[in-house]
Amino acid sequence: MTRRKESILEAAAILFARKGFNETSMSEVSKISGVAQGTIFYHFKSKEGLLLAILEDLKTRVLEAFEEFYRNENFSCGLEMVEGAIAFYLDLASRLEDRFMVLHRHISYELALQNPGCRRCMEAIFDCFVDIFEQAIGQGQTDGSIVALPPKKAALILHTMVDGLVRLETYQLYEASSLYEELLELCRRMLANTVSTE
Amino acid sequence: MAVISLFHGNFCNEERIIEPLVAKTGYRLLTDGDLVAKAAKLSAIAPDKLARAFSAKTSVFNRFTHEKERAIAFIRLALAEQLRQDRLLVKGFCAHLIPENISHILKVCLIADTKSRLESALEQDLSERQAVKLIRQHDEDCTAWVKLHRGSPDPWNTALYDIIIPADKAEPDKIVSLIMDNIGKNVLKKTGGSEKAVEDFLLAARVGAMLAKEGHNIDVKAEDGRVTLVINKQVLMLNRLEAELEALVEKVQGVKSVRCEVGSGFHQADIYRKYDFETPSRILLVDDEREFVQTLSERLIMREMGSAVAYDGASALEMIEEHQPEVMILDLKMPGIDGMEVLRRVKSMNPDIEVIVLTGHGSEADRQQCMQLGAFAYLQKPVDIEKLSETIKQANEKINLERRQKSDG
Repeated sequence: MTRRKESILEAAAILFARKGFNETSMSEVSKISGVAQGTIFYHFKSKEGLLLAILEDLKTRVLEAFEEFYRNENFSCGLEMVEGAIAFYLDLASRLEDRFMVLHRHISYELALQNPGCRRCMEAIFDCFVDIFEQAIGQGQTDGSIVALPPKKAALILHTMVDGLVRLETYQLYEASSLYEELLELCRRMLANTVSTE
Repeated sequence: MAVISLFHGNFCNEERIIEPLVAKTGYRLLTDGDLVAKAAKLSAIAPDKLARAFSAKTSVFNRFTHEKERAIAFIRLALAEQLRQDRLLVKGFCAHLIPENISHILKVCLIADTKSRLESALEQDLSERQAVKLIRQHDEDCTAWVKLHRGSPDPWNTALYDIIIPADKAEPDKIVSLIMDNIGKNVLKKTGGSEKAVEDFLLAARVGAMLAKEGHNIDVKAEDGRVTLVINKQVLMLNRLEAELEALVEKVQGVKSVRCEVGSGFHQADIYRKYDFETPSRILLVDDEREFVQTLSERLIMREMGSAVAYDGASALEMIEEHQPEVMILDLKMPGIDGMEVLRRVKSMNPDIEVIVLTGHGSEADRQQCMQLGAFAYLQKPVDIEKLSETIKQANEKINLERRQKSDG
């Protein structure tokens, strides 16, 4: 991606995240990115096109980040991998804060209903989010560190909890980082197979 | 006798000063490594991880859980515990963790020009490439650290120190005696006030480390046992947060009272501020004097202006496509396509690029020709880095203004 396109997406993500999609005009995107309106339309066609491009870009970044997580991390058991995945997800959401806020905005879900490209993109992102927990739970059940639970359902519930913490932070409700240790402890208690380790 | 804090660039012959200084004063040397080891015991965080807190790169730390801030909080606590003692030499990044209201500190900075640092590095059997990389990396770390803790974009800013010593221009024994002459000075004597400031620092550090351990990222002030917690970001459930913080802090030894206040960061930042208009533009340096451009490029990086370098006109013109610079700093006299021709082509093909001409051999006629061709400014070498930075800033302002006018129109 060219630098110009990058700065357009960066500016649009900040505005969509902080002000909202409907409240943002293309002239504001132009003003903040320093790129002429004509150029923005040339690259992205419309405001929806810009939103879709932000989501596509987020998808690419998320996929890359998760690949790196799987490649680099070594865990002694599945339960430990769950903890690693939680820390990783929270860190990623923090680094890509504006992009996650765009993802969490109602407009993204609305666009997904109308636009098949957007739907596939959102599906890929959320699949990726839930897969990481599902893989960890699966591994934990194989190595005996995690109790028998339906892994797909348990993974969705874990994602809901962890992502809830992200929203607590991004919507500025509470200092969510102070809940991190407790979140880990509660997840351990939910998942740990205390029988087989004794 | 004053406590000495010594901040320095790498390859500035610091060992040749510290060793005799310690021998002559009988001071105890406290390095970043020593404090990291103590902080590791206090925090149960691995020493190598703690030490990464000095690096400008933060990718090893979890952003969400404020891991970096936690590491720094424990290093600060380790320092605060040591600072109660006399006859100390605090060397390295930790020098900047000492609060300014502790008055019995002699703040020394040791720095040398890049050329002599490079020579020192080469004496230590490093290749030139490795040496350049290490110096640049260390300077970036220094810049980020000093900016974080002192708010100054320039780590060698004279206002931050009592003495700045150019290590390449004075003999080590002269430097040692200069420092020794100053530690006995009256203004640096320990007083009741400065001792109290050490106690306040220790209490604030203790509270800060405890809160950091609990995952909070809160500024702490302490005075005579009265602790003030500053909440510097917007939190909707403020009462709940204040209650939790107060309950945690009340239990810390030495705390007589605790109260919370909201800092300036509590009120949400303007979105426009987040996307900073004043962000430096991309700069292309074009000059055939390699040493000059490299030094210049380093100094600009320290001022957080990203720059690329070309050594002749032809590569400069090629790099415009690839690098998309907004500002170009151009020497007139170069082999091949000369500076005047580069200027002519740039202004005809990419008129948006602002060109600052920098030359050692220019005449008045050259100056006039450059300005007619559309140069933004015409400066004579040797140029003062402040003057150049200021000119770049002015070019940026012009660019930003034109952008805004374009997008409004």
